[in-house]
Amino acid sequence: MTTALIILIGTIVTYVIYRASKVVYKKWPMPFFHPLLLCPLILIGIIQLAHLQPSDYALSSSLWTHMLGPATVAFAIPIYKHAPLLRKNIMIILTSIAAGTLVAISSSLLLSLVMRFNGDLLISLLPRSITTPIAIEVSKTIGGLPTLTTVFVIVTGVTGGIIGPYVIRLMALKSPVARGLALGMGAHGVGTNKAMEYGEQEGTFSTIGMIMAAGMTLIWGGLLIPSLLQITIL
Amino acid sequence: MVRKTITMLSQLAIIHVFYFAGVGLAHILSLPVPGSIVGLVLLLLSLFAGIVKLEWIEKAGGWLLAELLLFFVPSAVGILNYKEILNWQGLETVLLILISTFIVMAATGFTAEKLYRRKRKGGHTQ
Repeated sequence: MTTALIILIGTIVTYVIYRASKVVYKKWPMPFFHPLLLCPLILIGIIQLAHLQPSDYALSSSLWTHMLGPATVAFAIPIYKHAPLLRKNIMIILTSIAAGTLVAISSSLLLSLVMRFNGDLLISLLPRSITTPIAIEVSKTIGGLPTLTTVFVIVTGVTGGIIGPYVIRLMALKSPVARGLALGMGAHGVGTNKAMEYGEQEGTFSTIGMIMAAGMTLIWGGLLIPSLLQITIL
Repeated sequence: MVRKTITMLSQLAIIHVFYFAGVGLAHILSLPVPGSIVGLVLLLLSLFAGIVKLEWIEKAGGWLLAELLLFFVPSAVGILNYKEILNWQGLETVLLILISTFIVMAATGFTAEKLYRRKRKGGHTQ
């Protein structure tokens, strides 16, 4: 089979199963049916049953993976549309995301120590709250394994997309700024996707939260994490 | 239908121009930031400067953002390459991520909600 044909098939099959997963989730909105859980599970089943190579599937679906880049660029649209709203809330945004990134790193570190994780696993876990491409950069900076970090970022996204609405209800988060920042900080793009279901304002705050979280984690990755690791591991 | 497809594809092309410009710029200047984020900044600046009109990209941009989960699917399937994670430690790791994500969302949301209420009380009404 030619590469073009493989990509055509992979693109269509992935899209059809994704659409079907979304329909299922809309009808039965249970955590287990989350599209980012159900759709990959079905695809993994197909790959296993048909004895396909995971790398062949990765190639066949590369068009969709590629779209993550342009999709990130497209986040400029909600930011542009709601620039005055963001400017008005800039202090809330900066403070909340500073708190969020610190909690993300320190809670991962503390829980890792409690569960006796160490080495590569621990370090690769630290930047998992942020969007994949930047998480990979931070992981490299602090000496983690980028591929492992990617897996953790995905798991964080799926988890955050599922528990986000529960956190919002439990913490009685009423304002769009709190809802959006919590989702964008906790679960990057997947959280932002959820935030857009709440409303356009929530989506915008989530987008900016996601970007700020990535930026601040980059800074912590260079300054704070190395010294934290030194204190706790040595 | 044909018209709609052409609109969508040409808008996607415009967004791609910014994406590739961002990737190129990040590479040339060896910035520690991914090209897609640089592209985002470039597009944002162009929108503010009036070089790009919102209508030129709004349809395709809306689609990209609405179908974001689809673009994560192949990476999620990529977990297949880490079969060694599917053991006890893997389960513990998922538990850790669950707890940590919960705390992060709660802390972020709590901070924002508190500050928001204080700001409103302070007389700076919306």
